[in-house]
Amino acid sequence: MKARRVLAIIVGMTQGAIGLLAFVLVCVLYFNFLNSQTMLNVAAELLPLSLLILSVFGFFSVISGLFLIHED
Amino acid sequence: MKINTLFRADVWLKKAEKHGLLGAIVMGLGSAIGFEIFGQLGYAYNLAQASMVFALFLGGLICFLTMFSYSELCAALPVTGGEYSYAKAAFGGFTAFMTGCLRWLSSVFGAAFAAIVFAQQLSYLLSILLTLNQNHVLPYANLIAAILVFIIGALSVRGVKEITTILVVAFLAIFALFILSGFWQGQAVPDVLPRFEGLSGVFATTAYTFIMFVGIRAIVAGAPEIRDPEKNIPRAIFLSMVLLIALYCSVAYVAVSVVGQEDFSGSSLLNFAAEKIMGSLGGALVAIAGMVASISSLSTAIMVQSSITRGMSRDGYLPKVLLKVHKRFETPHVAVIANSFFVMLLASIGAVGFLGYAASFASILVFALVNLSVIKLRENRPHLERPLKAPLYPLTPIVGFVMSFMLLVFPILLEDVNAENAIISSLGLIGLVLATYHLRMVGLHRLRVALGGISLGIGFFAALFAYLIEIDFKPFVLPLVPSYVLVFVSIVSILAGILNIVVGMRKLF
Repeated sequence: MKARRVLAIIVGMTQGAIGLLAFVLVCVLYFNFLNSQTMLNVAAELLPLSLLILSVFGFFSVISGLFLIHED
Repeated sequence: MKINTLFRADVWLKKAEKHGLLGAIVMGLGSAIGFEIFGQLGYAYNLAQASMVFALFLGGLICFLTMFSYSELCAALPVTGGEYSYAKAAFGGFTAFMTGCLRWLSSVFGAAFAAIVFAQQLSYLLSILLTLNQNHVLPYANLIAAILVFIIGALSVRGVKEITTILVVAFLAIFALFILSGFWQGQAVPDVLPRFEGLSGVFATTAYTFIMFVGIRAIVAGAPEIRDPEKNIPRAIFLSMVLLIALYCSVAYVAVSVVGQEDFSGSSLLNFAAEKIMGSLGGALVAIAGMVASISSLSTAIMVQSSITRGMSRDGYLPKVLLKVHKRFETPHVAVIANSFFVMLLASIGAVGFLGYAASFASILVFALVNLSVIKLRENRPHLERPLKAPLYPLTPIVGFVMSFMLLVFPILLEDVNAENAIISSLGLIGLVLATYHLRMVGLHRLRVALGGISLGIGFFAALFAYLIEIDFKPFVLPLVPSYVLVFVSIVSILAGILNIVVGMRKLF
């Protein structure tokens, strides 16, 4: 029980962090910070789709991570 | 138990504290005459030119029809909560939740619009008083609007008293002066009747300016404070609507007759016309009135939003923290701060056309739902005690509903970008509302299992993408993401999915 709880917290925190990083990447790409769109080879016409996919992924990751951290 | 006996308890005040017919009319006019006429006429003129007068008349007429439905519902269900309670009685939880959200959205968009109108009027006033060029102030209009929301939000936490009657009298005096001066000077006679090819522009204008009339529903919402509501409410609605339609149409008529002779390219048509008719003093007077109206509307809107969010929070749709009341000021400070945040965010956008349409669309949808509620309640509860009945039923609610629907469609046909953005934003927000409602109904543990499934899906997709990258297939979305990152994301997501499903299933069964 305790090992599973510890695992849930670690996985939850990691997944939440991945989700937050996805949101940061969305902001970096949107504002083209450090010319990130060219660096990551994101075509201009596919930018909105990329941002949408990353946002949805980030949203679900953060929520799922929070569920694991606050299990009760 | 009859539904009206269930709802009627303790909502009517003592007879001595109630308003008579005149008080009810002031209540309606005080709520309806606001910042909108100062901020919307410019954009409306661009849409329909002189036919703007006809568009305003049409908007008043549609609003008038729906007010019959409001009267019937209000008399049959005299409860706090307005449209939210009517939809709850007619359709149940989901539609009520939807109606509450739309009413809230309309108020938030309207409040942001009020803040922007304040900034516009301030820049106009400064341009007259300090002979500054408006371009010195206008670039900062969005910032001024956001700061104003912050101040009004803070004042709302402290608690502010309304001075509705004084404001109504002052506004009526200013508009009367404007109209009389305009007619006295004898401007050119504009062609206010629309031509066939300009009909879509007229309907778009009606949709855009519809929010100018919706404040009349304050008479219905304030029914518990009105003496002999069965008699006074329909009379007050009728007289207020006639006064309001006459006032708006006269103001617009004078404004378009002035602009017909001049080149108008700004956003404040009323200020422009007042300056042409009455000189700098007229422009300044209208600007001050516009600023006062904006502050008054903003303050009222923030309190209305707080009331709606608190009502929905009480019914369990929103977090309970919104019900908190400040110990010292006795105001719903959490709800006020939360709502002010949304208004500030929208005010910082600064798009007059977009905000005007968005506020109107949400109100139009609420009006459509109110008309449907009347029909539904007549069918489902034919024996419900109805002290007031909508005349010519079912014609009035049906025509009100159809006209409301048309107002949503015509701006899109006109391909007005602001209307399209407002519709798309409204639909997106309605989607969010639907998702929130269903997630709440689904329950926490089912939601956890669903999220586990989504995490598993994301994990398998990430693994598939990693494999495809390894065999030199470049995905079209983020093609340069390394495969080891995707493998890591895949492992974490699959583990999180399994853990969430296991815990969720255990708690469910």
